Amino acid sequence: MVMFFQQILNGLTLGSVYSLVALGLTLIYGILHIPNFSHGALYMVGAYFAYFFAGSLGVPYWGAMAGAAVVVALLAVASERLVFRPLRGAPVLHDMIAAIGLLLFLEAVVQAIWGADFHRLQSPHTQIVHLFGLVAPAQRLLIVAAAFALMLGLHLFLQRTVMGSTIIAMAQDREGAALVGIDASRVSMVTFAISGALAAVAAVLFAPISLVYPAMGDLVILKAFVIIILGGMGSLPGAILGGMVIGFAESFGAFYISTNYKDIIAFALFVLIMSVRPSGLFPGGVR
Amino acid sequence: MLRLDGLTLHYGQFRALDRVSLHAGPGELVVMLGANGAGKSSLFLAISGLRKLSAGSIRFNEREVARDKPSDIVASGIVHCPEGRKLFPGMSVAKNLMLGAYVHRRDRRGSDALIDRVFGLFPMLHDKRNDPAGSLSGGQQQMVAIGRALMGRPQVLLLDEPSLGLAPLVVRQVLAAIKAINAEGTTVLLAEQNAYAALQIADRAYVIESGRIVMEGDRQTLLNDESIRRAYIGA
Ligand SMILES: Nc1ncnc2c1ncn2[C@@H]1O[C@H](COP(=O)(O)OP(=O)(O)OP(=O)(O)O)[C@@H](O)[C@H]1O
Ligand SMILES: [Mg+2]
Repeated sequence: MVMFFQQILNGLTLGSVYSLVALGLTLIYGILHIPNFSHGALYMVGAYFAYFFAGSLGVPYWGAMAGAAVVVALLAVASERLVFRPLRGAPVLHDMIAAIGLLLFLEAVVQAIWGADFHRLQSPHTQIVHLFGLVAPAQRLLIVAAAFALMLGLHLFLQRTVMGSTIIAMAQDREGAALVGIDASRVSMVTFAISGALAAVAAVLFAPISLVYPAMGDLVILKAFVIIILGGMGSLPGAILGGMVIGFAESFGAFYISTNYKDIIAFALFVLIMSVRPSGLFPGGVR
Repeated sequence: MLRLDGLTLHYGQFRALDRVSLHAGPGELVVMLGANGAGKSSLFLAISGLRKLSAGSIRFNEREVARDKPSDIVASGIVHCPEGRKLFPGMSVAKNLMLGAYVHRRDRRGSDALIDRVFGLFPMLHDKRNDPAGSLSGGQQQMVAIGRALMGRPQVLLLDEPSLGLAPLVVRQVLAAIKAINAEGTTVLLAEQNAYAALQIADRAYVIESGRIVMEGDRQTLLNDESIRRAYIGA
């Protein structure tokens, strides 16, 4: 029973990280129809910047996270301006190729600066929490709490603020949005900034219980794509639910089947669900 | 007030608008008659800055607006209620209306007063204000679309086939509402295929064919014109 709850916590942790990454990806897809493979590189760059701020500059963990979120948000905005905006109107394939190019470019730059070695980002929260007779590493609880706080914040931003509703408006009808005077390039920039910040925060939350290395974003972005296809491209609840489904499948799969197959489980589940529900769990886009 | 001169628009090699010149004075209700594919929507989209012109000028209140951004054009007072409505289907009616006032977002109080006037014009939108716009009937959605455009505080309102796909009774309601909006001083450019109904409320009309203006005149002239009767009225 204890082991069972342990897997639930692991699933929640993984699911939280995946959901944050998938949310950014699905936002960009839902609004701009760009399959942004470089999102995985932004995740990785976020971890490296936090590692740099914390390790080399001595900034505390949460400060390093905030710094990484800002840097990656700016980087995401720059990628929109320099790479994706000039491709507006071109076939989606061009966006996709550009995104993969950007992913490889960022990985190469990071490797040139920090090398190909594995690094560890330290978190100050190394204690073990005892809760209802269960033991839980504090970092895992923090990941879950921080992810849910961010999702709630994103929800409130999108539903309650004017800027948030311009994002949803553009997702629901691009031309309608332009005709009420919503500036598409401003919405694109805000969307990229949000998605970059979410990726960075996810990476910095997860890094203390995993490793920091140049290719750390590759598997994450593939899984995030699986998640948003599962959840319905462009659907925010779908990204969260899909993230949790994959997180739980991995943690339970690793425990009850084998850790060796952990990464395959996500893809196997994907094939299974898509053959039953080809339009995903939540078809219908950004609401 | 609004004066177009020599507007030309291409989609690739295809010329959708060919030197279109027309004008609308303050408080006028001008109808654009044209069959499918004549170029009515292209004309409106060009005025709104959503299609790039190859040539021509658009002067609004003595100012050239032909190269302005869509958001600046809306803010200057030309508001476009598009064909197919282009609502935000997942958002509530009230939110759709409030987004219509996006360019006036600093003046929340003015928009709150205006939304009450929109509800006065279309009382049923008030009952449905919390429903998703996409769940409404076609006629109701058209009213949301017109209401959303009104929230942009138009001096010139471009209405693209608002009667498309609506039952005859609903068409009459919608046209009556348009007449009422015009009577309060808003200049209206109304694109229609439904010539007879549209001409009833028009001051003047232009006929557009294959991207060219082929005729213009006041309501009576066009209603009495044989070729118009044959082509658009079927009588
Ligand atoms: N985006 C586009 N790309 C290429 N051709 C287009 C495009 N939009 C419109 N056209 C063409 O331009 C011509 C004018 O179209 P437009 O939509 O302006 O006509 P319309 O008068 O509004 O017709 P309808 O009454 O059917 O709405 C048509 O021949 C149409 O096929
Ligand atoms: Mg049209």
